Amino acid sequence: MTEGLQITAASKYYNEGMNRIAALDRVSFKVEPGEFVAVVGPSGSGKSTFLSIAGALLKASEGKVRLNGKDISELSGKQLSDIRLHEIGFIMQASNLVPYLNVLDQLLVVKRMSGKVRAADKAMAIKLLEELGLGTKLKNYPEELSGGEKQRTAIARALINDPNVILADEPTASLDTKRAHEVVSLIAHEVRTRHKAAIMVTHDDRLLTYCDKVYRMEDGKLSLAELESIH
Amino acid sequence: MFLALKELRHSKTRFLMIAIIFVLISWLVFILSGLGNGLSTLAASTFKTMKADYVVFEQGSKASMSKSLLSNDLSAKLAKMPNVSAVSPMGTIMASAIKGSSKLNEDKVDIAIIGIDPGSFLEPAIIEGSGLTSDQVTKVIVNETMKDEGFKLGDTFQLDGSTESLTIVGFVKNQTYNHVAAVFTPMEEWRKLAFAAPGSDKGVKDPVNAIMLQGKDIDRSTINKQLSGTDTVTRAAAVQGMPGYKEENGTIMMMLAFLLAISAFIIGVFFYVFTMQKSNQFGIMKAIGAKNGFLGKAVVSQVFVLSLSSIIVGILLTYGTAAIMPKGMPFMLDTKLVFTYSIVLLVISLLSSLVSVRTISKIDPLKALGRVE
Ligand SMILES: Nc1ncnc2c1ncn2[C@@H]1O[C@H](COP(=O)(O)OP(=O)(O)OP(=O)(O)O)[C@@H](O)[C@H]1O
Ligand SMILES: [Mg+2]
Repeated sequence: MTEGLQITAASKYYNEGMNRIAALDRVSFKVEPGEFVAVVGPSGSGKSTFLSIAGALLKASEGKVRLNGKDISELSGKQLSDIRLHEIGFIMQASNLVPYLNVLDQLLVVKRMSGKVRAADKAMAIKLLEELGLGTKLKNYPEELSGGEKQRTAIARALINDPNVILADEPTASLDTKRAHEVVSLIAHEVRTRHKAAIMVTHDDRLLTYCDKVYRMEDGKLSLAELESIH
Repeated sequence: MFLALKELRHSKTRFLMIAIIFVLISWLVFILSGLGNGLSTLAASTFKTMKADYVVFEQGSKASMSKSLLSNDLSAKLAKMPNVSAVSPMGTIMASAIKGSSKLNEDKVDIAIIGIDPGSFLEPAIIEGSGLTSDQVTKVIVNETMKDEGFKLGDTFQLDGSTESLTIVGFVKNQTYNHVAAVFTPMEEWRKLAFAAPGSDKGVKDPVNAIMLQGKDIDRSTINKQLSGTDTVTRAAAVQGMPGYKEENGTIMMMLAFLLAISAFIIGVFFYVFTMQKSNQFGIMKAIGAKNGFLGKAVVSQVFVLSLSSIIVGILLTYGTAAIMPKGMPFMLDTKLVFTYSIVLLVISLLSSLVSVRTISKIDPLKALGRVE
């Protein structure tokens, strides 16, 4: 059984009037546990589309997506929800926390989605938040957090269900350089110590040093880029 | 419940405003239902509390006492009909009682004179004084509300436009007819009053307005067939036949129906707009694995908590209002009615929240990835 995430010849087409445009054009890709890869590319090249397909949010028009060896291309909406809940951790752009939940509840609501919250879950959430430096902010609401703290909360939320795959779409978009480095190095650290397969879409070339591999997306086509060529 | 309560606590003002609207609506619903109940009691409580099951009217009288005239000879025939266990005649006229020897208009009190056989099942329970007797036909029992008009036990009053005078020997409770206090007299005295003008009884022997029947499952068509010129109806139908009763009730019911529809709309629209505003948030939660059911439950339980507490506050306000209402107001709260309307309000608001549930199920989790549409 292959672990991690494997995409084979996936394409995604959109119909714009008469034309059929390929947002994703026969992309094959693989990421293994403990591996942190980046996807860069110009705006509109298909990065978010790629991440959505990898994250079971969007069905590919063609091709296969395998998560831990299991084909998820043919699953129902409910099953995909479950996959997202248990197998995938999303870190999105800033301000994607639920405004009326405090930091601890942001994590517990994820546990709620799959049933009851046990005392062990709560202890685990607190431990995770403490590790991410949010031990003193457990009862704070998102509006009381800095951008970096919000993203760290989002990282903790992505990790709470112990998923196999971490997906991040421009997690540093709303952060200054210093905070961006903090957040990405934190993701990199968690990915390696917890042995997760992680993909990050970014615009910021300076953050690529934290990644093991860099892919470039151009007009829906994905290609491996040499790290050196970017620096 | 988790999300629902957390959000209620976090956005208090927002939810407080809609709660206030819902409290006002439920308050109005309960007050209207109390008024409707009070009015219909006033209009027909004598009929409603009567221990009769069926009423025999003259054919063509549209189940209205004032339009019906029968001979009491029918009573004996009716008593022999299948399933009939008891029979008793009744007559009604409207009149005014004059307080003392006053000539002032204010001292005339509208009453309904109801002729019955003393000791029959139609005679209501006495709460003060004694009952009717056949040998003293001017001794009457009256509704206790006449006390508020200054009438006492043992008082003798004259009837406007008549030389007859009646003496109060007893009081009864909750006996109103045609919105005014009921005065029960023996049949014989009622005839004297009702047919004072010569020939007004149309030559009917022992005239009465209607004959009340007791008995379960009486076959109305058999009676109609065997006794020509009669029309037997259930007591409920006779209540509907009271002058103005249907119209009055209909108006109140229409107002209630409108109120309920408005409340459904307000709750529905509020939560719909609210849901639309939060669609991005719902998208994020769906992206991280929340199912439609999880989010739908949050909205429905929010509506449930909000409407239930608003309804409870509305009920408290209604009972508070009832306590300070002037005595003469035809306002009567019925616990069963309040309970029924509470359930109706609750169900209506829950149903209207389903619009939001549907909206949620259509939200695309892709929204969460900051896609530029
Ligand atoms: N729902 C849709 N309908 C039609 N076309 C779409 C849809 N979603 C995306 N596209 C198109 O697919 C292409 C790729 O979009 P995508 O969002 O993946 O780009 P991106 O690389 O994430 O861009 P950015 O860096 O600006 O976020 C774009 O040309 C876009 O217009
Ligand atoms: Mg994008």
